[in-house]
Parts: sequence; structure tokens; C-alpha cells
Amino acid sequence: MDQETVRTICYLARLEIDKDKAQKIENDLETIIDLIGGLQAFNTDNIEPLYSPLEQTAFKHEDIENSDNQKEKFLKNSAVSNEDYFLVPRVVE
Amino acid sequence: MSIQFKSITQLREMLDNKSISSEELTKETLRLAEDLKELNCFVTMNENASIEKAKSIDSANDLNSILAGIPLAQKDLFCTEGLRTTCSSKILSNFIPPYTATAVEKLENAGSITIGKTNMDEFAMGSSNETSYFGNVHNPWKKGYVPGGSSGGSAAAVAAGIVPAATGTDTGGSIRQPAAHCGITGIKPTYGRVSRWGMIAFASSLDQAGPLARSAEDCAILLNEMSGHDSKDTTSLDLENIDLLKSINQSIKGLKIGIVKEFNLGDLDAEVQSCFENSKRLYESLGAEFVEVSLPNISASVPTYYSIAPAECSSNLSRFDGVRFGHRAENTGDLNDLYIKSRSEGFGDEVKRRILIGTYALSAGYYDAYYKKAQQVRRLIKNDFELAFKSIDLLMTPTSPGAAFAFGSKGAQNPVELYLEDLFTISSNLAGLPAISIPHGKVNALPVGLQLIGNFLKEDQILNAAHIFQQNSEFHLDKPSMEDF
Repeated sequence: MDQETVRTICYLARLEIDKDKAQKIENDLETIIDLIGGLQAFNTDNIEPLYSPLEQTAFKHEDIENSDNQKEKFLKNSAVSNEDYFLVPRVVE
Repeated sequence: MSIQFKSITQLREMLDNKSISSEELTKETLRLAEDLKELNCFVTMNENASIEKAKSIDSANDLNSILAGIPLAQKDLFCTEGLRTTCSSKILSNFIPPYTATAVEKLENAGSITIGKTNMDEFAMGSSNETSYFGNVHNPWKKGYVPGGSSGGSAAAVAAGIVPAATGTDTGGSIRQPAAHCGITGIKPTYGRVSRWGMIAFASSLDQAGPLARSAEDCAILLNEMSGHDSKDTTSLDLENIDLLKSINQSIKGLKIGIVKEFNLGDLDAEVQSCFENSKRLYESLGAEFVEVSLPNISASVPTYYSIAPAECSSNLSRFDGVRFGHRAENTGDLNDLYIKSRSEGFGDEVKRRILIGTYALSAGYYDAYYKKAQQVRRLIKNDFELAFKSIDLLMTPTSPGAAFAFGSKGAQNPVELYLEDLFTISSNLAGLPAISIPHGKVNALPVGLQLIGNFLKEDQILNAAHIFQQNSEFHLDKPSMEDF
């Protein structure tokens, strides 16, 4: 794993790594990738992936509105909001 | 009369014969937590609300439930309405949930009293409780030693005798391994048995909630309440609940227990092996039969897990963006900068490491090689279990390769060293199977655990086997001296 790849995945994950920790993180990622690379030794021809141990379709329920508008309750946890919205830096000039 | 180290059944009796009120019991529990705060097992206490609830339980006296008036601790990963829930992360250090997790709500509806939220590895990512933003938790058996993780605060609070039981969650061993390191009992139920609604997600196809307590019997009491279908969790199983308390205390004569050939137990520390052999002999004396079974793909468990869990974590933790809840960085530029700075300031190193690995495993060009490949190998592992359970009732392994270790002594140079702590526990999460850890001896004066893995939905069978073991041994009654705290 080279520095360019680490920079790309950091951007994709919206994370910044401290400069003094960059080398350690790179080494750690390399070690972990080596570990999971060991899976290539297992023959999985014609094996369906198992995405959930349950293997059942998620159950459905009627689409009935069943909660009150709890706007105030949810806005309370936002660091910056007004009475109606979560606020973020301007994205459209 | 001291309430420290009492079981749920003993506390129930004290409440019923009026030798203590729930208010007195709750206050005494809070006092114990305060006296032992050096353990660092709690992140947030719930003093006022818990005393108020205890008073109302005392005055109403109409709840026909074993748990009515019993103090419990909740892992700080379960959302609790109005009570801070941090996941032991800076990013959620001020988060007050607007709702309560179903598993906790069920326990509270049964009359139990939440006295506080327990410390844990940040977002449950760790096997030693050393990744918490709120600092390390000490193992009650030895100061400066880890309690295991990620449910380390819950395990330490139970082992120290502060509460009779606590909730935990288990994604790769996070209930069983701390239970083993702290000398208590902990069960990870079948995936889907307990609702995940309101649990802050780490790896959604692996996470499962369960209890930690000082006996299999007390675990059965909690699991009876926590289980059941929840329409708010689409992976919650819609089954009739069985009374686990009625399922324990059955004879285990003829019970077929499998020993996994590929685990090469001969390579383990001699004392760990000796505990295992002694437990095997105890089960044999009680009528169980042992057979060797093969799980040919079991060696792939750790790499499979460390591909799938980080992938699911990178997806789940994308919700922490500094906008709707959680830490928000100051002095940011555009929206992208807000996301990057809030997340980078809010997450600790291990969480960042796992998000990055998961992002890599899911990125274009690597998805098939890592993520899809791991899910295919996961099926091979599940198939191995299915075949093995055709000839056995349950599997027996050590819970962990060794006992608790000193702070900072594992994984600092190489994270994989710590990942191998989960060697025996991970596969049951991959296959969705129930598994329990019970104390069965000591190595260097520190407790070690025995793991029993059951077939799908066979919690009753592993709880029964664990209970019978505890009826015929005294390891679960052993208590730490706590003289250093």
C-alpha cells in the first residue's frame, strides 16, 4: 500500500491522518491487508457470498405513519441548527 | 448486609423478604460504583433517575418480574433516552439519545434499574478496552491489566460485584472475551434473537446484544427479557420465546460435545490446556461424550472477520459527519472540510484504522478480492458448522488463547497481534451462532474462560450445559480481592 493509495482512501473515508502518525498507519494497513490477503488461498469457485447469517428476506410491514413530528427532539443534538434545519456551510453560491 | 457480589436470585430474595428495599439497593449500588471508580468501568452514572425509579418500584410493588427493582448497568453503546450515550468516543461525547434501545427498554419494562452506562472500546472496536476515549478500564482481578473488550466496563462492573449483571454486545467476541478475562459468564445469542434497534451499529451482520452476569442462571434471566421480535429491526427473528430458566438444570447425560481438530489446542499455554482438560473431565463425569470434529475452513475466520467487520464499520460510521449529532469541528471551510475535520477530531486511531481498511476493501477494484471473497469464505465457515452440528450438540473451546494482559502489552506495534485474541470467538459471529463463556480456572492467578458454541437458536442447550457445569464446580463463585482498588 503506497502513500497515494492511503491518501485516496483517507479522502473517500473523509478522514485526515496526523503527519506524525502517517507512517504507522500505513504500516498497520499493510499488515492488515496482508492478513486478509490470506483469504485468496481458499477456493470459493461457485460459492455464493453469505452477506447475513440469517439468509431470510427482511420482513415487511404496512407503510403506516406511526410517529409524531419530533423535529425539536432531533434538532437538539445538532451543534448548529435553527428552528427548522440542521445548518451547514453554504454549498450553493 | 452487603449487596456486593450478590446474584440476581439472591437480591430478589432480599427484596421479597423486605430485608432491603429497591431504593436502598440502588443507593448501595451507586455507592459501590463511587467507591470503586478507580476501575473506570462507568462513563456516565444515572443517579437521580435510578433512585426515583427504585422508589416507584418500592411503592407500586405490583411488578411480577424477577428483575423488578434490580440494578443493572448498560454498555454505553445502547441508546438510552435522556441519558448520555457515547460509545466511548469523542465524537459522541455529548450525545443524548432521543430514544431507548429495545433491548434496554425490555429490561427496564421488567422493572430493572439502569444505574449507569459502562465504558467500552470505542465503537466496540477492540479486545482490551484500551481504545476508549474515556481511558482504560482496570481488570478487578489485577490493577493495570485489561478487562478484555469491547464490553470491558460491563464485565468489570459485574466482576467487581457492583451490579449483578450488565448488558454487552458481541461482534467478534466482545461479550465472551471480557467475561473470560474477568471471571464471569457472558452469552452472545443467535444473530436475530435480540433486537439491534437502538444499538449503535458497528458491523450490522455480526453485532448481537447479550448479558454478562456471574452465572449462567442470571444470564438466562436477562436473556429471557431481552429476547423477542421487534418490528423496528428487520433482522429480528419472529419466534416464540422459550423460557430459558425452565430449560436449565436438565441432565447432560449423552450430550455430544465437539472438540475442533483445527484449533491445535496443544499449541496453547500449558495452564490454559490444563484448565481445558479439567473441564473436559468434569463434563465426562457428568455423562457428556466428546468427539473430535473438523471445521476445515476455520483458520480463515480472523481474516474473514477483519475484511467484513471493517467494511460494515466504514459504511455504518459514515453517519458521523458533525451535522446532525455528535462532535462538530470549529473553524471549518466548506462542507467537505466540516466532514473531514469533525470525523478526524472525533474518531480515535483504531476506529480510523478500521474505517480505512473497510473503505479500501469496498473500493472499486478491490471489492471482489476482499469483501466478496470474505463473504464467500464466510459461507464455507458456516457450511462447516452445519455439517459438524449433524453429529454433535455443541462445541467446546477455550474462550481466549490466554488470560488478561497488562495495559499496552499487546497490539501497540502490530494490531494483528491483538486481533488474534478473537481466534476462538469470531467464527460464531460469522455463522450467527449462540456461544457462552464461563469461568473454568486461572492462569497466573487470572481467570480464563471456557466457550460453548451452540447450534442455531440453541441458547437453551448451551445455557443448560453452562449451568450444569456451575452446579458442579465453584469457579463462578470466585471473587477478586479488590485490595488494590
